[in-house]
Amino acid sequence: MNSRLTSLVRKELIDAIRDKRSVMAGLYYALLTPIILAMVFSAVISKATSPEDITIEITNGPEASHLVKHLRAKGIQHSDNSTSRKPITLVIGQDYAAQINRSEPADITLIADYSDDNLRSSIRRTENALRSYSSQIASLRLITRGIKPSIINPLKINLQDQATSDSKGGQLLGMIVLMIVLSVFVSGMNLAIDTSAGERERNSLALLLSHPISIRQLVVSKIIAVSVFGLLGLLLVMLISRFVYPLVPWEELGFSVEITYGFMLIALVISTFVAVFAASMQLFVSFMAKSFKEAQTYITFVMFVPMVMSYATTLDFAVEELRWAPVSGQLQALIDIMKGKDIPLLQLTVSCLSTLGASVALALGMERMLKSEKIVFGL
Amino acid sequence: MIKVTDLTKKIGNIQALSSLSFSAEDGQITGLLGPNGAGKTTCLRTIFGLLKPDQGDASINGIDVASDPISAKQALGLFPDPFGIYERLTPREYICYFAELSGLSRSAAKNATTRVIGELQLEDIADRRCKGFSQGQRMKTALAQAIVHQPKNIVLDEPTRGLDVMSTRVLREMLRQLKEQGHCILFSSHVMQEVASLCDRVVVMADGKAVAIGSPQELCNRTNKTSLEEAFIALIGTDEGIAS
Repeated sequence: MNSRLTSLVRKELIDAIRDKRSVMAGLYYALLTPIILAMVFSAVISKATSPEDITIEITNGPEASHLVKHLRAKGIQHSDNSTSRKPITLVIGQDYAAQINRSEPADITLIADYSDDNLRSSIRRTENALRSYSSQIASLRLITRGIKPSIINPLKINLQDQATSDSKGGQLLGMIVLMIVLSVFVSGMNLAIDTSAGERERNSLALLLSHPISIRQLVVSKIIAVSVFGLLGLLLVMLISRFVYPLVPWEELGFSVEITYGFMLIALVISTFVAVFAASMQLFVSFMAKSFKEAQTYITFVMFVPMVMSYATTLDFAVEELRWAPVSGQLQALIDIMKGKDIPLLQLTVSCLSTLGASVALALGMERMLKSEKIVFGL
Repeated sequence: MIKVTDLTKKIGNIQALSSLSFSAEDGQITGLLGPNGAGKTTCLRTIFGLLKPDQGDASINGIDVASDPISAKQALGLFPDPFGIYERLTPREYICYFAELSGLSRSAAKNATTRVIGELQLEDIADRRCKGFSQGQRMKTALAQAIVHQPKNIVLDEPTRGLDVMSTRVLREMLRQLKEQGHCILFSSHVMQEVASLCDRVVVMADGKAVAIGSPQELCNRTNKTSLEEAFIALIGTDEGIAS
């Protein structure tokens, strides 16, 4: 009984390893995702921190020499070179000096495309600099009138940031973990199609079922083979991530990303449940399809469900219940571990059990399906 | 011995089998002869338990296929149509894999594979991947798969379809040898010559029924015809779907 299962699994794996398409599907994902993600993160970080001085256009500057000096101190300068400066224009009103002298609101216009994401941080910096100049002048005016400037600040708001350096990068860490867990789905996908819909397309399914094996052995062996592929993809993606992510300048955001061997081990254990579920689901769907192409279409649709659940978890707009659900529960636990929090044991256990339950249900469904003449012969 | 009794099977709206009964004895080659659509493949699939009959039963060496499919299949070898070759495996791996599935231990399967590769003179292609094999090479690989575990009963579905003369001769020779060794051989065909030259007994099928059973000579005598082909046409009442 067991030796037949071994033979089945061994053949499935040999067949899969020799299938270039199946191997490449997993390899591409594992190699490219961490590298692309690291590049994206590097770009995002350098944009968000925006450390260098910016140049903008300031018209009628001499009218407000004091303001221009203040801006320069904040790293914002006028430049005549229209190609290198940011497309932000600060127009000083014609009557600026006179208005300031009369203590009237002085006209200043900030012209920029506010929908341009690339400009957003520069605009905000300019606005903040103007605001701070404005309150500086206000305080001076109050002092000259013998009033304590603090009278216009009825509230003193003290901010205490409790975020640890790792939890600050919450969503970024979430993305990293999501990409790692998704490898389980992507790496085994092509094999799942090849070994089910492909098997029928090549007319070997009926031959296989003509041999003295139980359908359960057949289903289990295929699930094992696809899961193993998924987990190999996971291992590969984690190894590559381990070397690629440290190259991103995380320290500028005040946290670090390190994929330790301890994390890899835990991720491997937790993801085994996800891998078995992914394998059962993909096999189930592709056995229903009549051809390789049809299976590809179905799988794309079905993959959408765990993807959306995972994105919801990662981007923090998920309902609390998703922490207990298959796939998103494990994902949430892994994100927590990555952030340095405690493992949510109860939720993790429940979600692992529900994942296992769903996998068993799918496997039983497949067993039933393969007993049906309609499915096997496509009658 | 393969025995089917009163097999009845409806697929969709088509009555594929209706009260089909016959038996194939050990040490004999039995041919299932019928025009296209007579229910030959349906009958063979029922013998392997892949299709469930609406009525009646099939038994292998006295084991009922429906109640104990694993034991029944253990005593069967299948040469399918189409072959169902795994293109990424070599014939040696392919044959060995199915030997293991038929219940042989890994070492026994390896030995059996080496033996059957020798018998079918497959040595030169045994360790090449099956992708790109000719039809004859595929046939030999599939045949090796069917007989590697030395089943008492061997079932062949349209075995000579698409084969050249040389491959057909190899196949015929192999079937005669297996018959000498006392195996029970059942094959389906719509090729007259093949059936006439090989079979000890012919089951003539039409519309899911056995219309006549006997040796080729008996069938000729019964219909007062000189050739099996004419006897066959007389028996089924039409020459549609027959290759001479």
